[in-house]
Amino acid sequence: MRGVFVNGIINENPIFRLVLGVCPVLAATTSATNGLGMGLAASFVLLGSNIVISLLRNLIPDKVRIPAFIVVISTFVTIVQLLMQAFVPALYEALGLFIPLIVVNCIILARAEAFASKNSLFLAASDGLGMGMGFTLGLILIGSVRELLGNGTIFGTALFGASFEPMLLAVMAPGGFIIFGLLLGIVNAISNKLSTRKGV
Amino acid sequence: MKLSFKGGIHPLKELHEGKGKTSALPIKDLVPERVCIPVDMHIGAPSEPCVKKGDQVKLGQVIATPVGGFGIPVHASVSGEVTAVVTRQMLGKKPSTCIEIASDGQDEWVALGPLGDVEKAPADKIVQQVKDAGICGLGGACFPAHIKLMIPEGKSVDTVILNGAECETFLTADHRLMLEEPQRILKGLRAIMRAMQVAAGVVAIEDNKPDAIKAMKEAAQGMEGVRVAILKTKYPQGGEKQLIDAVTKRQVPSGGLPIDAHVVVFNVGTAAAIADAVTEGKPLISRITTVTGAVNSPSNLRIRVGTSFQDAIDAAGGFSEEPGKIFAGGSMTGLAIPNTAISLTKANNGVVVLNQKEAVKKEPSPCIRCGRCVEACPSLLNPQYLNVLNDRADLAGMKKHNVMDCTVCGSCSYVCPAKIELCANFKEAKEKITARRV
Amino acid sequence: MKLRLSTGPHLVNRESTQTLMLDVLIALVPTTAAGIYLFGTKAAWVLAVAVISAVVCEYLFQKLARRPVRVMDLSAVVTGLILGLNLPAEAPLWLPAIGSAIAIILVKELFGGIGHNFMNPALLARGILLASWPARMSVYHLPARVLGVTEVVPAGADVISAATPLIRPGGYQMYDLLMGNIPGTIGEVCKIAILIGFLYMLFVGTIRWHIPVIFVGTVALMTWVMGGDPLRSVLSGGLLFGAVFMATDYVTNPMLKVGQVIFAIGCGVLVSVIRMTKAFPEGVTYAILLMNILTPLIDRWTSRRVYGMVKKHA
Repeated sequence: MRGVFVNGIINENPIFRLVLGVCPVLAATTSATNGLGMGLAASFVLLGSNIVISLLRNLIPDKVRIPAFIVVISTFVTIVQLLMQAFVPALYEALGLFIPLIVVNCIILARAEAFASKNSLFLAASDGLGMGMGFTLGLILIGSVRELLGNGTIFGTALFGASFEPMLLAVMAPGGFIIFGLLLGIVNAISNKLSTRKGV
Repeated sequence: MKLSFKGGIHPLKELHEGKGKTSALPIKDLVPERVCIPVDMHIGAPSEPCVKKGDQVKLGQVIATPVGGFGIPVHASVSGEVTAVVTRQMLGKKPSTCIEIASDGQDEWVALGPLGDVEKAPADKIVQQVKDAGICGLGGACFPAHIKLMIPEGKSVDTVILNGAECETFLTADHRLMLEEPQRILKGLRAIMRAMQVAAGVVAIEDNKPDAIKAMKEAAQGMEGVRVAILKTKYPQGGEKQLIDAVTKRQVPSGGLPIDAHVVVFNVGTAAAIADAVTEGKPLISRITTVTGAVNSPSNLRIRVGTSFQDAIDAAGGFSEEPGKIFAGGSMTGLAIPNTAISLTKANNGVVVLNQKEAVKKEPSPCIRCGRCVEACPSLLNPQYLNVLNDRADLAGMKKHNVMDCTVCGSCSYVCPAKIELCANFKEAKEKITARRV
Repeated sequence: MKLRLSTGPHLVNRESTQTLMLDVLIALVPTTAAGIYLFGTKAAWVLAVAVISAVVCEYLFQKLARRPVRVMDLSAVVTGLILGLNLPAEAPLWLPAIGSAIAIILVKELFGGIGHNFMNPALLARGILLASWPARMSVYHLPARVLGVTEVVPAGADVISAATPLIRPGGYQMYDLLMGNIPGTIGEVCKIAILIGFLYMLFVGTIRWHIPVIFVGTVALMTWVMGGDPLRSVLSGGLLFGAVFMATDYVTNPMLKVGQVIFAIGCGVLVSVIRMTKAFPEGVTYAILLMNILTPLIDRWTSRRVYGMVKKHA
C-alpha cells in the first residue's frame, strides 16, 4: 500500500512521468496558490472517485464502464466546485473554467480505468492519494517557478525588491510550456541519474 | 561556347590545382633495374602466370595469360630474367601474384605483329589486337579496353569520346601526352572508330591546357570525323558521366553505362596505347605518370609497368622533406599507399608526396547545414541528408536517396567547412549496400 | 618512414566553420561600429555583455553536459553579437545577459548544439525577451550622435523617447533612414553599414544573394502593390538587418536554392502582412521565425532530381 502511494508521487508522477492532465497544469500554474488549490481539488476528486469506483468495480458492467466512471467523477467534481465556490471564492474565480474541467482530467479517468477498477479499496485509495499528491506537488513546483519569474512573489509574498522586473512571459501560455518543458527535462535527468546510481 | 556540367568544384585553385610544377615539363623515360608486375592490374579475373623463376624474357613477352571473358594478358615491361613469382600485398584488398624481373639493360623486344596503318588495318582484327596487347583503361580504372570496343546486342554507339580533361589535381600526364604525342592519340582514336564503326570522334580537353588544345587541333586537321571539344575547367569534368553530359548533352541513366547514352569513353593514354598496338604491334608495357609534391624534381615520367614507387620517386629527385602521406592518383580520389616498395601498375597516373604538415587532417565537427556539399555534388545528390541517414546507419534510406549514383568524386568532402568525411562515408555505405543486397 | 593512410580527398578546402563565422563577424563590423557611434557607450556595453554572456553560457553548458567544448568555432560570438544588435541601446544590461543565455542554452544547446537548432537562436531569444519585458524592449531613443548633416528631429517631437520609422512613417528623411539617424535597435538603423556587410559576405562567399534579395524584394513588391512607398518601407525597421544576417543563418533555412527562394518569398509575404495589419509595428522577427519552422517541410518538398533520372534508351 505504501508502495502504491509513493509510486504516484515519484515513479509514476502524473505530471512529470505520465505527462497526463497537462492542460490544467499549464492553466492553473500561474501562481503557486492556484497550483495548490487545483491540486487539492483534483486530489479530492481523484481520491473520492477511486474509492467509489473500486467499491463498485464488480458491479459496473464492462461495456458501460466509461460513462459510469464519468458519472462518479463528475459527482465529486460538483461537490468540490460547490465547496470552493462557498469557502474560497477568490481561488474559485482564479481557476474558473478549469474546476469543472477536472471531470475530463486524464489522470482521474486513467487511474479509474487502469487501477481503481481492478484493485481493492485500500490500494485504490492509496493510489488516489499518491497520484493526487504527486499532481499537487508538481503543480506547486511549476506554479512557484512561474510565479517567481513572472511576478516576483511566491504564495503571494514578494521575495525580491521593487526593482525586480518580472518576466511576463512566464505567466503567459508560451512561458508555461517552456517552463514545464524545462522542469520536465530537469526532473527526468535527476531521476535518471538516481536510478543509474541505484543500479536500476 | 565552352561545355560544362552542373555542380562541381575548383579544388586547390590557389595552387593551380597542384599542376604548376609539372605542366611545363616534358616526359622523361624511366627504365628501372627491376620490376615487380602484378597479374591483376585490370578489372576482371587475375591473369595466370606462364613463366617461372629463372626464365629469360624479352620486352613485351607474355608473362601471364588471360583468365575468363574480362581477362587480358600481362607482358614483361623489361627484358631480363624472371627472379621470382611471388605474392605481395599491393593496393588491392587481397595480396596479388606478382612476377619479378631483373632487367638486363637490353630492352630487346619480342617478335611483334603489327596490323599496319590505322586507316588500312582490318577493322575486325583490331579488337583482338587490343586484347593481345593487354590494354586496359589508363585513366585509373583499368577496365579491359577490348570489352569496351565490342558493342553488346541491342545497343548502339554514335560517338567516341577521348577523355583529355585530366580534371584531377596534381596530374599532368595526359596533358603532356596530348602536347608531345598528339598523333599517337589520334591514330588510336581512328582505330577505335574503325573497330566500332562509329563516325564521330571527339577529343575533350579542359581549357586550362591551351597548348594541348592547340596541338591536338592541329594534329586533327584533315582527320575524318574527329574534332576537339573544349571543356570549362571544373572538377570532376573528367568523370565519365559529367564528360558525356558536357560533350553530348545526354545523361547516362541512373544505374546504366555510357553505352546507354550511345557513347563510349576512352582515356587519351589508352588511345595512344591502342595506336601502338595496331601500328607497331607493341603491347602495353609503359605509361606516363606524374610524380610531384614534396620531391626534389617533380616530373612526368614514362614508367615501365611494375616499377616500384620508390624508384619513381628516386627518378624525381627523391624526397625533399620527410613524407607524411603518399597517394597514387590525384588528391581527390587517389589511394594512400602504405609503403614505397609496392609497384606502379597500368592504372597509376600519379604519385603525390605530401609532407608531414600537409598530411594532417582536421577533426570533423557537427554539420551546420550550409549547403555547400549540395551545390558541389555533380551527381545532383543531397550529401547532407545522406550523411544524416548514414549517422543513423539507415542503408535502405541511403539507397532510396540514390547513394548508389554517387561517383565518390570527393567534391562534397572537399567543400565541407565542418570537415565531415562525407565521401569516405558514402564509399563505405555503397560497399555495404552492394555486399548485403546483391 | 611512417605514412598516413586515409581515404580521399587528401587535401580539402581551407574554409572551416570557424572561418565562416569569422567572415560573418567581419561583415558585422560596420554595423557594430555604426551602432556604437550613433548610440554611444551604452550600446557598446549591451553588445559586450551579449557576446560575453553567450560565450560563457555555451562553455559552461558544454562542460556541464560533458559535450565537446566548441566555443572556438565562434558561433556563440555571432549569436551574441546579433542578439545584442537586435536590442535597443537603452536596454539594461541584464537583458542581453538573459537573452544570450536563452539563445544559447534553450534554443541551441538543449536541442543538440550547433547545427541542430530549429529556429534562429538570436531571433527566438529576442522574441522571448519581447514577450517577457515588452516595455524595456520598445524604448527607442534618438541616437546620441548623428551620421552626417541631417534634419532628424521632427517638429515638436519629444527628444527623450521617439517613435521608430515604422510607428511614424514619413516622419524621417530618406537620408536619415539610410544613415541611421533614427530611433531603432542598435544594429538595424544604419542601412549603409548593413549593405557593406552584405556585399562583403557575398564577395567572400559566405552567403548567396538569393535570400536577402528575394526577401527584401518581396516586401518592396507587396508594399508597392498595396499603395505604399516601397523604398521607404524597405529602409524602415529591422528588415534589412533581418534579411541579411538572420534569415541567412545556415541551420534554419532550406538546403536547396529552390527551397531558399520559397523561404525568402514566405518571409517577405509574412512581413508585409504583419506590417499591413498593424498588429505589431515590426514583423521581421515573427516572419523569419515562422519560416524557420516551415524549413523542414520546404526541404521535404524540394528534394533533388538526381543526375541520370532519364528513361533508359531502348
